[in-house]
Amino acid sequence: MNINAVIRLMSLLSLWMRTGEGQIFQPELTPNTFLARITSNTVMLKQPYCVFDQTCPDCEIWLVAGLCSANAIFDAQVNSSTPNILSLSPYPTAFNSSSNNFFLTRVGLLSDFPCNQSSNDQYFVVGADGKCSGINCNGELPDGFSVCFKYLLIYTNETLVNSSNWSVNIDLPKLLNLHNINDGLSARSGAMVVITSILCAAVALLLLLFFIMLCITCCTKKESKEISVTNSIRIPRYDTHDLKNRVHPYDNPAYQSDFKNYSTANTLPKDVTQKL
Amino acid sequence: MGAGALTCLMFVVVALNAIAAAAGLALFAVAIWVAVDGYKLYPISGVSGKDDIFAAAWIAIFTGFAFFLTCIFGIFAALKRSRALMMVYLIIMFIIFLFECASAITAATNRDYLVGNSNLVKKQMLQYYGQDSIQGKQITQTWNRVMEQVECCGADSPEDWILYNSTFKQIYPTYNWPLSCCKRLSSFELQDPAGCKVGLTSTLFTKGCFNYIESVLSRYTWAVSWYGFSVLMLVFFTLVIAMIYFMQLE
Repeated sequence: MNINAVIRLMSLLSLWMRTGEGQIFQPELTPNTFLARITSNTVMLKQPYCVFDQTCPDCEIWLVAGLCSANAIFDAQVNSSTPNILSLSPYPTAFNSSSNNFFLTRVGLLSDFPCNQSSNDQYFVVGADGKCSGINCNGELPDGFSVCFKYLLIYTNETLVNSSNWSVNIDLPKLLNLHNINDGLSARSGAMVVITSILCAAVALLLLLFFIMLCITCCTKKESKEISVTNSIRIPRYDTHDLKNRVHPYDNPAYQSDFKNYSTANTLPKDVTQKL
Repeated sequence: MGAGALTCLMFVVVALNAIAAAAGLALFAVAIWVAVDGYKLYPISGVSGKDDIFAAAWIAIFTGFAFFLTCIFGIFAALKRSRALMMVYLIIMFIIFLFECASAITAATNRDYLVGNSNLVKKQMLQYYGQDSIQGKQITQTWNRVMEQVECCGADSPEDWILYNSTFKQIYPTYNWPLSCCKRLSSFELQDPAGCKVGLTSTLFTKGCFNYIESVLSRYTWAVSWYGFSVLMLVFFTLVIAMIYFMQLE
């Protein structure tokens, strides 16, 4: 019964909205530099202060989140006074291949966002619920696509009161696969090259010197003569002084007595105690 | 060579061996310090199978102590002026020299594979953090401790957690990064859980942990390989002098 009046009111108001000053009539990214402002699956928007100017005590602000390619599909489906807007495209099947590629989720009551309490520090995270299963849950967005948002003002009996403009395209980065990270050898450091080369050279040099040393010691060993004995080996004792039989300082240590007598000449001493 | 010069050479050999014994003992101590892993970063190299820095430290423990014992034997052999003992000394020292070379080269080479750039550490973190396997638990524990103590997040930055798919993301899809990345009060409670979850830069650590991990593993590597290298240069010089002494002995 009030539908026609509502539509007229809506069109008048939306005309007035667009000419209004200081009002941003579309969802926007939060201006703060949060590290997770745009991730592969979530987007942080400003909270919808000062978007809708109506005073509608029981109205709620809802968000349409979907691929930008589905903007026209949504506008076509919701332009007429469709009943059950909120269950048009449930989240669990929203992004299947043959689906509408958008979903609706609740932001809050219109009365929670009065214009005079506008704050840039407040944010609304689209996708905060992850892979959820409710019809209107705040599920995560598909990575790698361009997404667009729109605010809807919904009355308690699920009728559309007003809708904002579409936001600008927001490109979600594609989630990179960790197995594509190349963790092979990047480069060899200079220290490693220096240590390896100098140590290998040192080992080779040491081995070379070792073999040279062995050769030198072996060669000089062959050329060395036997220890020469200056004394004759045939004379057991040679005394130049007239010593009594008390001391024998000139006993020849190198004297070797015959085990076998090869001659019996008188010149050979028969008794070692005899003085020559 | 005259007897006086030979005695002088003997004293030089004894002195160099004494210094090399002390250096070998210090190498033993330094290698024990590396093997004990006071910074507790072993799982990062162990899980990826590239723990040769620690293997080199174990080799250096044995070679350092062997250098100490053999140099004392060398002092004894030089004082005894015995060719046979000097030959035994030279052969044993050469074998230990080879093993210590292997240790120094292994440590220096393996460090390049592990921390040449942040890719390996990052991939390992993304794959194993939060995983329920033995390696997963070790990596999770190590990274939690590093992130909390060093006040860092991720390998290069917290964005590593956002840009890449990871085991952590599969298990906790609503969290952008682990809670260890968040700043905490002195009572260990989170300073601002909601702010940390969305990435308010004043509530979480924004620097990466790779610099710290790289500096610790490099410290271990340089302890084993550069100090081992310097001991080897000293021993090289000692062995050359010992060979000359050997040739002068009768």
